[in-house]
Amino acid sequence: MIATNLKIISVTLGTILFYTFLANAIPQVESEVPAALALGAGFTTEELVSAGEDLYFGAGGCTACHGTGTRAPNLETAEGSEGLIGERCEARTEGVACKEYLHESLVDPNGYLVEGYQPIMPDMSRTLSDAQIWALVAYMESLGGEVSVVAADIEEAASASAASTGAGAPAAVTASATMEPLELLREHQCLLCHMLGDEGGPIGPPLTGIGAEQDAESIRHAILQPNADTTAGYEAVAGTMPATFGQQLTAAQLEAMVQYLATQR
Amino acid sequence: MSRSLRSCRILSALLLAVATVVIVGPLLAQEGVTIGRQYGDFPVIGARGAVWIAAQVHLLFAAFVLGVPMFAIVAEAIGIFGKDARYDRLAKEFTRLLVIAYSATAIWGAVLTFFLTTLYPAFWSHLAEIFEVSMWIYVGLFFVETFTLYLYYYGWNHWKVGRAKLAHWGLGILLNIWGTAVMFIANSWLSYMMSPPEGMTADTAPGMVQFWSAFANATWMPINIHRIIANVVFGGAIVAAYSGYRFLLAKSDEERAHYDWMGYVGNLIAIGALIVLPFAGYWLGREIYEYNQQMGITMMGGFMSWLWIIQAFLIGVLFLAGNYYLWVGMGRIPGAERFTPYIKYMLLVLVIGVIVWATPHTMIADRDELAAMGGTHHPFLGVLGVMSAKNTAVNLMILTTFLSFLLYRRANIRPTVSWAKTGTLIQGGFFVLAALIVLFYGIYGYFVTAIVRIGFSVYQVLSVLIAIVAVVIIDVMLARGAESRGDIRWGQMPPRSQYALFVLVVTFTWLMGLMGFARSGIRQHWHVWEVMPDTSAWAATPALGYAAQMISVCVAVFLAMISFIFWLGGLIEKPDVVAEPPEPREPLLESHRRPIPGSDLDFQPAD
Repeated sequence: MIATNLKIISVTLGTILFYTFLANAIPQVESEVPAALALGAGFTTEELVSAGEDLYFGAGGCTACHGTGTRAPNLETAEGSEGLIGERCEARTEGVACKEYLHESLVDPNGYLVEGYQPIMPDMSRTLSDAQIWALVAYMESLGGEVSVVAADIEEAASASAASTGAGAPAAVTASATMEPLELLREHQCLLCHMLGDEGGPIGPPLTGIGAEQDAESIRHAILQPNADTTAGYEAVAGTMPATFGQQLTAAQLEAMVQYLATQR
Repeated sequence: MSRSLRSCRILSALLLAVATVVIVGPLLAQEGVTIGRQYGDFPVIGARGAVWIAAQVHLLFAAFVLGVPMFAIVAEAIGIFGKDARYDRLAKEFTRLLVIAYSATAIWGAVLTFFLTTLYPAFWSHLAEIFEVSMWIYVGLFFVETFTLYLYYYGWNHWKVGRAKLAHWGLGILLNIWGTAVMFIANSWLSYMMSPPEGMTADTAPGMVQFWSAFANATWMPINIHRIIANVVFGGAIVAAYSGYRFLLAKSDEERAHYDWMGYVGNLIAIGALIVLPFAGYWLGREIYEYNQQMGITMMGGFMSWLWIIQAFLIGVLFLAGNYYLWVGMGRIPGAERFTPYIKYMLLVLVIGVIVWATPHTMIADRDELAAMGGTHHPFLGVLGVMSAKNTAVNLMILTTFLSFLLYRRANIRPTVSWAKTGTLIQGGFFVLAALIVLFYGIYGYFVTAIVRIGFSVYQVLSVLIAIVAVVIIDVMLARGAESRGDIRWGQMPPRSQYALFVLVVTFTWLMGLMGFARSGIRQHWHVWEVMPDTSAWAATPALGYAAQMISVCVAVFLAMISFIFWLGGLIEKPDVVAEPPEPREPLLESHRRPIPGSDLDFQPAD
């Protein structure tokens, strides 16, 4: 009985150890966390390119598609006769400079979809900082081209980001003193997602005719607690409307907006 | 150990788990509660290691206690409707182990919850704020499931004939429903971490998230289905290994025959369900890609690409060990010797299939490696590693394994129907046709674009599935009124065959750990994908080598504990074993009460 038990334990442990050995014998690749890019005031182009290269081959995850297989253009080798990405970027879109083209490709990747490829590139601004994105641009420019990214690009991006987001709050938190409802709707970017007449976007439920469907109290509730209920047909975007308007609008502004919308029949 | 003592222990574990979820979770979730720190620390292995082990071992136990009831109700149904008492006894024997394993599951669940609340308080608060309602429902279902299990097990001998037996079977079905519901709820939490509602960003406060959009997220249902099937596979494998252990230690031929048969049933269920599992995995993978291409690419072509080579190897081991067990088992079947010459060809197909499937293709590589290969793909292996070749290999492996089962099933029967020869030829025709379709699309896939090639896998899978269904239907009809070439000599298996069952269960368990790492690891440094970053010291996703060590620790802990439970089960109650053959044919639905041969008479209520 003891011999049988020992045999069973040996087979079990032997199998476990073999799999452990096998997994340790193959190339070891760790998924790093993108480190915050700390560039000194007088950083050099080489430092920026080096930081971009680290991101490109590391935490940026670029090589998962750019460099293997046929998912995305290979940036480090010539695509056809166009040369490396640093050479060919200038000619990609007429009138758009290389660095602008590359930057746009990273933050709005489907804007410049290369023919023959699927729109699979993610918006890198969701995972990388502005400085990291510019570092990537600099690295790609260095592949066969001249690096044109300068400190001003990074500073400009950083200040624009700070102005739009404040201390981590949603965009457009700067409240004005206006009491004009339509101006308030525009100022608080409601019309980015909601249609009102000919103006606005189709992401959220339209505000045109909202007064015929909801009374003032419901509208007020929907502005202050936008995610308490979901309008039928908009489940896919549920939870996306900011619930910060209670803090951004004064009581009078909120009331002006509510009364205005309640009259939209 | 007395029943009351056992019940107390189980109840204590349950109360511990329930108290954790009910008290700690919502407290942290309350709006306005200040989380003093983001992360805690754990000695030696760190916070991530502690949560990793607790989560993985809890999941393995959970898979066991969810898989075995499915196994039990099917076995009980065969016992009732097939009037075969062996299956009833089999179902009860495993439900007994289930009762003990249930407390281990609850304890590990409590450990996991405590680790999360103390080591990842901010993350737990985020999760609880969104899912608190489902956590309360979870707790309620947990109670209901527990008491249904008590009724099911302790009522086995009391409700064993007539309508009462059917009602008892109904309890088993209820047990499965509660267990599945509990699993679905827990799955929503982890799948939310992978695929939070689209549009949700780091600025979205958890309290603003619509509950249902977070609960029924993009990967929730594929994971549910994948886990249901995987639990059946796991339950079958554990049953088979348990039987193997009992077989090796059996003291009589009767006992050996019983556990030989039980091992066969467990292996049949495990490998049978395994054949379906890749299709559920394919659905889950597709949903991941549809939800977020980057996540999908990270999974299949990014830093995790080597993981799939290890997975292919492990599944290859499963196919080889499962088939080996069947081939050795044919030695105890009169008439099976006529199929022996074909075994070497089936082995050849399986080995070639494993080699092709485990061939690397789109590997993440640095510049030096790319230069050494002379391009992005290996000049020779790159051709074998593409999906056309891999899909072809795996479909042919599935067909071959099914052929093994068919030969095993046909080994000791001689069909007597007039169309027996024609039927066998048609069956052969289905096999050949399916193999040709698989090969055709495999080769054609090299000449079309990727998007067209992906669609070919559907034709390959469908042809194999249709062949399997058609062949089974014909075989069932062929077996009607068939003559026996001799009884199966249960118990006359060489001991080496039982070690194949141990390799199977270790491989299944290790594979579950590996796939758990894949599912969780593709989030990389995010607690909740692109919503809540992991800013702890353990945020980087480790390489496969480190992950393998963690997986092995989890597997070893689980197997040690489950072995202890099996041993404990043996101490509590020794199952009676009846001589086989002849197979007992007890009419369980008879209105009069008679003890079932081999049933546990010590629990027979006084009536």
